[in-house]
Amino acid sequence: MVKSVIYTLTAIALCLVLFICVEIYLNKQFDEFGGAIDTLYKKVEDESANREDGYAVKKMWQDKKSKLHIFVPHNDISYVDYWLNETCGLIYTGDYDAALCKLEVLKEIASALPGSYTVRLENIF
Amino acid sequence: MALIFIRTTVIFITLLFIMRLMGKSQIGEMQPFEFVITLVIAELACIPMADTSIPLLYGVIAIVAIFILHQIVWLLDLWFKPMKTVICGSPSIVINRNGVVERELRKNNLDVSDLIESMRAAGYFALDDVYYGLYEANGSFSALENPDKSTSTLSLTLIESGTVDDKNLKKAGIDREKLNGFLTAQKAKPKQVVVMTVNSEGRVYFQKKGEKYKILKLGVNGEW
Repeated sequence: MVKSVIYTLTAIALCLVLFICVEIYLNKQFDEFGGAIDTLYKKVEDESANREDGYAVKKMWQDKKSKLHIFVPHNDISYVDYWLNETCGLIYTGDYDAALCKLEVLKEIASALPGSYTVRLENIF
Repeated sequence: MALIFIRTTVIFITLLFIMRLMGKSQIGEMQPFEFVITLVIAELACIPMADTSIPLLYGVIAIVAIFILHQIVWLLDLWFKPMKTVICGSPSIVINRNGVVERELRKNNLDVSDLIESMRAAGYFALDDVYYGLYEANGSFSALENPDKSTSTLSLTLIESGTVDDKNLKKAGIDREKLNGFLTAQKAKPKQVVVMTVNSEGRVYFQKKGEKYKILKLGVNGEW
């Protein structure tokens, strides 16, 4: 029985550590991504953004998403992929107004996504 | 991740509560919480395995949550006796020296036919073949055998919880008039009868609501 109690307590402790680490990791990743989106947003507003700026954000997201796939449902990652690719395309063609709309969505996703995995009453039920 | 853990816990507790409400008829040889774990764990393992859009870690966390909940329930069972009754339920005595205890059957969402079926499965073909019959917390049937058990034929149920079984009456070669005559002699109406069975030798097990059972005689055709 002592063994069982030890296993249970170990499992609880490991889960708690994992939950805290994942929470911190997700917030950090999406904060960084949100920051990059903000920078790109300002450049697009000034109409000074170019293809390389878009691809830099895309490259950053590609690096992050390979690890995020472990913790975040893959459909949520696909949404970011979809909107980011559209934004890059619009920046490339010089359609800054449309690119701003897409960036607005991306900003919202980057800020709301980590919150959808935290313990809140609306997320539980 | 913590969200998955909490959601698993909520569903586990809900299922456990519902299984306890459903009574012993829904459980087969398992404690309610074991039954819940069996139900849930297969799904938890399958969903992330088959659906590639869900990270595998979600399934792992949910399964670990079930393991932790199982351990907690098991430890509560061991350490706090009242919790055992709350979580797993307690045995119900459905047959005692006075006969069938209808109230206990109803409490477990069972009826007399379920009891007779359980008795047959346990090797008892007449209600008075046992002194005591009880449903364990895990839903299995246990009985203390009557040493004078002398059943050699199968019993037919003629009245069960106040309802007359016309098919069995016909099979036993008893018409309504004869049955009514028998009931009048016992000062009972069909509605007042908990159970009435008859075997092919005409041996009747008769129990009126709120009274001890009686063993009586009734002429039958004996063709079964």
